Formats: sequence, structure tokens, C-alpha cells
Amino acid sequence: MCGIALTAECIYFVSDPHGLYPLLEATENDDIYAAAWIGIFVGFALFALSILGIIGIIKADRTLLLVYIILMLITFAFEMASCITAATHRDFLTPNLFLKQMLERYQKAEPANNNDKWMTEGVTKTWDKLMLQNHCCGVLGPSDWQEYTSAFRDTHNDADFPWPRKCCAMDAQGLPVNLDGCKLGVPGYYNSNGCYDAISGPVNTHAWGVAWFGFAILCWTFCVLLGTMFYWSGIEY
Amino acid sequence: MCRPWIVVAFCCLGQLCADQSLKPQIAAPQLAMNNPTLTTVALEKPFCVFDRSMHPNKSYTIYLYAMKESASAMSSLVTDGSSKPLDSTFQQTNGGQLRPYKAGVFQVPSCASPPRLVDAGDVSKVSDVLKQYLFRVGDDGTCLRDPNFLDVCNPPLAPGTTYRFKYVLIDSTEGIVKDQTLWSDPIKTRRVKIPLQVDTWPGRRSAAMFVITSILSVLLFLLLAGILAAVSLAVRRPEGPSAETRCTPQTTQPSDPRAQLGSE
Repeated sequence: MCGIALTAECIYFVSDPHGLYPLLEATENDDIYAAAWIGIFVGFALFALSILGIIGIIKADRTLLLVYIILMLITFAFEMASCITAATHRDFLTPNLFLKQMLERYQKAEPANNNDKWMTEGVTKTWDKLMLQNHCCGVLGPSDWQEYTSAFRDTHNDADFPWPRKCCAMDAQGLPVNLDGCKLGVPGYYNSNGCYDAISGPVNTHAWGVAWFGFAILCWTFCVLLGTMFYWSGIEY
Repeated sequence: MCRPWIVVAFCCLGQLCADQSLKPQIAAPQLAMNNPTLTTVALEKPFCVFDRSMHPNKSYTIYLYAMKESASAMSSLVTDGSSKPLDSTFQQTNGGQLRPYKAGVFQVPSCASPPRLVDAGDVSKVSDVLKQYLFRVGDDGTCLRDPNFLDVCNPPLAPGTTYRFKYVLIDSTEGIVKDQTLWSDPIKTRRVKIPLQVDTWPGRRSAAMFVITSILSVLLFLLLAGILAAVSLAVRRPEGPSAETRCTPQTTQPSDPRAQLGSE
């Protein structure tokens, strides 16, 4: 049952409901997704092996139970790798990482190769969607666009675009309510919050979900395996 | 001998004509939070500044002059010899480096009914409020490259540079300078950093990561130890039970084991 639950949880995370995967892919720090993929397969393996174990116990067959224990140990190792990966890589996802990537990739005009182009498009679309839906601008605030040069600044002059148009308060048609107000920074006509909370919330849920749920399952699996080993050593031929 | 006196008198007259206490101010920070930016500065228009110098039946305009602070050592006059305003452009003065250039021309703002800043919250009124209240230096990014542009060009300023500004009251019919403010306090445009300077080092690892890693490693070690113990027990135990089976049948069937022992 735990196996199925783990599989389900990891499938949910891999499906990326918040659409943040392109940001992580472009930072080349998407290992929390790798951890979730491992979690899917481990969950399925746990489920299959538990059936094997139940059959072994019913038949009191030493060979079957030995096979079960060895395969469970392998699965345990994989799941341990997944938990540690998720926990470790969560620590890398700081605001500065997203800031640097946003400045370097958002609306980058001349990508170097296809991979670069793919990542740039992913980052641009994700940021546009983030800024529109969450009414935010930049990572820590719109001043990010003013404090640093960026790929965006290379193609858009500061007088007309102190920050991207998506940072302006939009009306129902998707046009800025007042462009001059947005450019000057009149309160109410531009988004003054940063988007970091909107990014770190789902990413944290993902990483901690994979890491801690996997940890809990492993603790339970540990007890089950210890019990199985005692039982195995107690079986007589 | 008379000349120094004339110069001093002219200077004093000039000081009296210029408004002593008022300089161009930057626009109210609670209205325009993004000010100054990299290449623009939004200045408050001169409300009620020139009213003493204006006659009711004449028409006036206001010119805004901008210059880099470094130019004040060379030349900061906005009039030529005959009290006519200087007709310099951005390109002629090298962006305000050699002497002041004319950045903007607009009507005298109304002192009797100034715009109310609280109206900026109203979507229908905000454009008017902004237009009447402030002037954005550096607003026009295209006029430098447009050969057909004939109006006063207000191109973007240089980043990380200090500028000073001055308002000048011009009589529209005669075209001469009637009054001028002092040069504003130095206003610096923003300076940028490059993204490479952003430090992406994550710092210390979180406590959760230590907990998970250490506990899981210990559990895995215990499991491996357990499996080794179980297997070694299983390997050693076959000697025990088979010795017992040899011993017990001796009591029930004494002849056969002896025959077995003999054959071995």
C-alpha cells in the first residue's frame, strides 16, 4: 500500500502542475525531478515485492524469502538515494539562482544552439505565466530589472521598458491599465511583489514531499525487513 | 575702474531675478517609485515658482535644461549674450557634457489648480495627473535616430551619471528669458551590475538533509548487518540439527547407526 501511495505521489510531482519544470531545467538543477522519477519506480517495485513477500511467508519458503529480502534491500538503497537527492538539491534552489537565470535567459534574443533556444523559450514562457497569474515581477521585486543588466535589457531600452510589460497591472484584455503609470512605478499600476514565493512554495512541497514521505516509508520498510529476516532465520528446512 | 562695479551690479541683479530658494525637485517618491531609473529622471514641474515674474496678459513657456555635473566647470549658462535662451540639442552638447542642452518645452503649470496626487489612483485620471504633475527627462528613445524629428529631442540619459537641471521661463512673443530657477541638486541615474555578480552559492546545508542522510545510512547499515547475521546463522546451523538426528536414533535403533558408523 505504501508502494502505491509513493508511486501516486511521485506521479503527481512529475506531472508538474505548477509548470515550474522549465525553470529548473534551465538552471540544470532539476534533480528533484529525478528523485521523483526514481520514487515512481521504487513505489511500484515495493508493491510488487510485497506480493512476493506475502507469498513467501504463506509458503514459508526460504529461497523465496531470501530473494524478497535481497530485492527489498536493493529497492531500499534506491529509495534512499532518491530521498537524499531531493533533500540535498532543494538546498541549491536559492533566490539568487532563479534571479541569475531570469536575467540571463528571459527574452534572450540570440540563443547559441537548439538546447539554448529550448531553455530560453521555456524560461520566457514560464516567467510570463508566473508574472501574469501571481501578479508579481522579478524574483525579489521589479527592482531586479533595474539593478542588473540582462538579456531583456539588451533588446529593450530602459526608457520604454524599465521592466517587462507583464509586470504592469493588466486589464481584462491583457493590456496594461496605464503604461506611463507602470513605467514610472505609480503604486497600483505595476506588480511590486517578487515571484520567489510563488516559485519556492511548489518546489518546496515537491522536494519535501518526496524526501520525507520516502523517509517514512523507508523507516517502515526497515521494520518490515528486520522482522522478515528474523522470521527467515527461524524457518527450518 | 567702473567695469568691476558693473559686473557686480549685474550679478546682483541676476541673483535677484533668479528665484533664490527654488530648484527643480525630483517627483514625489510616493507617486513615482521607480525614479531615477537607469536612463530617465522624472522631475516635478515648477508649480507657483515663476508667478511673481509673470504678467497676466502675456503668454509664457517653460524650457527645461539638463547638463552633466561635470559640465558645470566649463559652462552652465542657459542664455546667450542677449538674454535669449540657448538653443542647444543633446547631440550638439555631447549629451550635456559640454554645456546644458534643452530637454523639454511645456506650458506653465497652473498654480491655481495643481493636480491632486490622490487622483493617481483613479484609472481615468491618472494619465492627466502624471502629465500635469511631472516631466520625464530621457523619455524618448527614438528621436535621436529619426532624421525627420523636428521637435525638442529628449533622449535617454547615461546610466550611473550625475545630472543637474534648470527651469527657465520664456516670454513666448519676445522669445527672451524672463526668469530661471537655480540648478537642481545633483541627481544620479542608477548604476547596473552584471548578472555574473549574482552569487548562487547555496550556503550551509539545511538540517533536514543531515537528518535524512544520517538516519537512512544507519538504517541501511543495520539492514546489511542483519542480513549478514541471518545468513551466517543459517550457514552455521546445518551442523547442529544433523548431529542431533544422528544421536537420537541410537536409543531406538541401536544396530543400524553402528553399521553406519562402521561403513563410514
